[in-house]
Amino acid sequence: MKSKRKFLPWMYSAPALVLVGIIVVFPILYTGYISLTNMNMYHWDNYRIVGLENYKRALLKVDSGFIAAFLTTILWTFANMALQIVTAFFLALGLNAKGLKRARVYKTLLMVPWAMPAYVSILLWRVGMFNTEFGYLNKILSSLGLEKVNFLSQNVPAFISCMVLNLWMALPFMVMMMDGALKSVDKSFYESATLDGAGFWKQSWYITVPAIRPIMLPSIIMTTFTTFKQFDIIYLLTQQKGSLSGATLQTVITYAHQNAFVTNNYGLSSAVSIVIFGIIIVFSLTTSEE
Amino acid sequence: MKRKLAVILSAAMMLGVFFGCGEKQQNAAAPTEKPDAAKTPKETQGSEEISIWHDGDESIMQVIEGQVNKTLAEDGITVKFEKKSGLTDQIKLYGNDAENGPDLYMYAHDSLGIFVEMGVLAPITDAADKSICSDMLPMTMEAGQYKGEQYLLPLYFETLLFMYNKGMWEGEVPSTTDELYTYMKEHTDAAAGKYALVNQHSTAYNVAPFINGYGGYIINSDAKPGLTDEKTKAAVEYNQKFAELEADGDYNTVTALFNEQKAAAIIGGPWLVSGIREAGIDLGIRSLSEFTLPDGGALAPYSGVQAVGVMKHAAENKKEAVSKVLNALAQPEVGIALAKEAGCAPANQKSYDSEDVSGNEIIAAMKRTAETAEPMPNIPEMSVMWGPAEALLAAVNKSGEDLDSAAEQYQKEAETAIADMQ
Amino acid sequence: MNKKKLGKRLGYVFLELVFIIICFVTLIPVLYAVSLSLGSSGTAPGSGVSLFPRDFIHGITFENYRAVLLDEPFLLWLKNSAILSLGTMLLAMGTAVTAAYAGSRYRYRGRKGVLKLLIVLNAFPQILSMFALFRLFKTFHLLNSYLGLIIIYAGSMCIFSIWNMKGYFDTIPVEIEEAARIDGAGSGQILGKIMLPLARPAIIVTAVMVLIFVWNEYLFSTTFMMNRDSYTLAAGLYQLQSNDYTRNWSLFSTAAILVSIPILIVFFLIQKYMVSGLTAGGVKG
Repeated sequence: MKSKRKFLPWMYSAPALVLVGIIVVFPILYTGYISLTNMNMYHWDNYRIVGLENYKRALLKVDSGFIAAFLTTILWTFANMALQIVTAFFLALGLNAKGLKRARVYKTLLMVPWAMPAYVSILLWRVGMFNTEFGYLNKILSSLGLEKVNFLSQNVPAFISCMVLNLWMALPFMVMMMDGALKSVDKSFYESATLDGAGFWKQSWYITVPAIRPIMLPSIIMTTFTTFKQFDIIYLLTQQKGSLSGATLQTVITYAHQNAFVTNNYGLSSAVSIVIFGIIIVFSLTTSEE
Repeated sequence: MKRKLAVILSAAMMLGVFFGCGEKQQNAAAPTEKPDAAKTPKETQGSEEISIWHDGDESIMQVIEGQVNKTLAEDGITVKFEKKSGLTDQIKLYGNDAENGPDLYMYAHDSLGIFVEMGVLAPITDAADKSICSDMLPMTMEAGQYKGEQYLLPLYFETLLFMYNKGMWEGEVPSTTDELYTYMKEHTDAAAGKYALVNQHSTAYNVAPFINGYGGYIINSDAKPGLTDEKTKAAVEYNQKFAELEADGDYNTVTALFNEQKAAAIIGGPWLVSGIREAGIDLGIRSLSEFTLPDGGALAPYSGVQAVGVMKHAAENKKEAVSKVLNALAQPEVGIALAKEAGCAPANQKSYDSEDVSGNEIIAAMKRTAETAEPMPNIPEMSVMWGPAEALLAAVNKSGEDLDSAAEQYQKEAETAIADMQ
Repeated sequence: MNKKKLGKRLGYVFLELVFIIICFVTLIPVLYAVSLSLGSSGTAPGSGVSLFPRDFIHGITFENYRAVLLDEPFLLWLKNSAILSLGTMLLAMGTAVTAAYAGSRYRYRGRKGVLKLLIVLNAFPQILSMFALFRLFKTFHLLNSYLGLIIIYAGSMCIFSIWNMKGYFDTIPVEIEEAARIDGAGSGQILGKIMLPLARPAIIVTAVMVLIFVWNEYLFSTTFMMNRDSYTLAAGLYQLQSNDYTRNWSLFSTAAILVSIPILIVFFLIQKYMVSGLTAGGVKG
């Protein structure tokens, strides 16, 4: 009986672990292996082990440009997460207000950004919102008699533009999670709190937040990593080949892309990937110690 | 409801496996549609399919496919064009894969060096007789050569052109770039969204006419980046003056401005023509080589050659069929059909005997340009040059950075990238 | 009392207004796509139909919708997307639900380690896995097969699903289970009959997340499937726009809208089931 209880949880987890092993662990190990070889364009099929050579070169890439990219990524991650969580919280609260009649319609409409493939949304934003000639933002500005603004040519406005777009794209998921979490809160708490005379802010802070925290924490951690890894938005908005916008915004991932991946040197870029992966691990261990 | 959900989900695992097996069977049946390498001994009997991967305009490929299949009908060979987005990356994965990969590929010639170095391409002489190339324009042949071997069979080529809206352009089109600039200054009102000339002023390909015209270079044949070259810098500086009057310079912006008659002229390629015609614009064409730069040289765009290369495995296993396909592709009729139906400039000189080709104003302008145009470099190092070159242009044109220091910075970046390839 | 009621009603009217505005702002880029898709001109991003009704009626055309639905193998792609999404959902949810349950309910050695390891593993950018998976799948002849893609997608979403559901399982009181165990229910029965219905919102949200991931994924789909006819909607759409020089914005927007409609229908339908078994049912404390 005792051994069965020990065995059971592993049995429950086994299928998932096998799947993760194939799709997630194997590629990491394989990347580790390639990082020890000289696989590149000139040694495509006849590559051989060259030891830690690539790591020496990869560490040289951890220069001032990389540090700047790393700091940008941290700022990007935290700013986005804070903005997302707060916005989603209030939206979800509003959607759960008892007297709101068309909540289901609003919820569906708010999900629309999520239903579109990411690259489609990004390109639509680039042309339809930020563009200097046709973008709605500039149309609004010029109808107010203001000058056209190129939102993507300087780093600070480009950063903010990327953040707005990221918020737009990520909010549906957060709202949906918050909505689900709020639905699990026992309503009787509020009744007694109201009787005790606690107002909206007090109720939110002392009842709602603690109640949804354990449910939300995993999705917030997951989203934090997704935000950290975010590549498409910054790349497609500002650095797509043939249409650089002028901003030189770099995050860790775009920096690695630009400095290692365009060269077709798989050995070197694998080493860079492993180094970055190491940094992410350290980063996550230091921040998730709760 | 709860019960139903519970049953569904607890059985999900098993279903997943079961479902998977079903898929596998279905999949096992699928590949039979495609002849694989194992069948090559039978190649002369029955019908054989040669697959060509491309990443271009599907209507152009249909023209080629139709023409070639007509020629090959009696040989029992069919050619099938298959569009693959991100072709370079796909060929890296599938280039040596006889079972899943293509037999031939068709693409612009500038990625040639990469594929040859990776060892996925065979020289076309391995599969076909060299005589099939004898009528091709020398420039297009040169574009398909790498390290002294001929790897590509050219089909058509493209150069940038000066295109203008006859209804909007006032007076004669000038013959020097300085006069062009003066005209632009007088006829541009950016605040009102009216432009004289638009160009993708921060895209390396579109600034190359200036850089090459000034005698500068993005990368030379020794794989040395030329961003800090004095002549390159002079060209970038000169182009920057124009950029100020050319809107944002992003592809979508400039084409839309021209098509909506908000810009009187555009520097662009033949691929824009169908959109322009659709917009009902009375289109005038000039070759860029008809514009003289202040130092006396002429604008000299890159030429891009759309050409076909043969995968190593196909050259070995399907030699006979591949050779027939190459032969069919090299016929002047292919060029004529391309010119007639898609407005492409054929690589085959014999195609120009047809009135449909020589009478086409756009093709004539491209052919004139081609006489002085440089083929894009096809060395592998070029693939990492676009990034730094465009970063330099964007820095100077869009972020207002200092030319010298930016050139210095991106030259260094380019050198690092080239070193990193090894 | 009456005054208070009136205030409350006014508050809700205000809230409705706020949500209408928020929805409108959110939808501006989408409306832009809609206006492009209804416009006639083929290529220009600036030349969509104006959003102002006066011009709107004039230039409206459904030509783009006809073109996407009939000229492209749209229905075939839709079928492929549906097969892949459902297959992935079954595989990912089937494996993740039990693992999340184990992670939430059992206290075994290595539990915390495994859960933490999973999160860290998830931090590896998936795009870097492409090459390794390609080699692996080629060896096992899983290229050009739906099963191969389903395994990739399910594996990619597995960690997320486990964590997402575990968080919710943690909030369900253990007492409920213990009562059932005393009544003689086995662990499989407890999971199937008690936990799953109670965790319904989390399960639905997670499943939808998996569905959307598959629905919108194009990179693996275009790389691992060999011919156009086996593409998913997102992959086919990606192919439509991939060539910079022939990018046809109205067609592209049309396809994008058509791709997202099934997802929106699913969203609308599932909301009924989003109410937790815990608070809606009578199983309190």
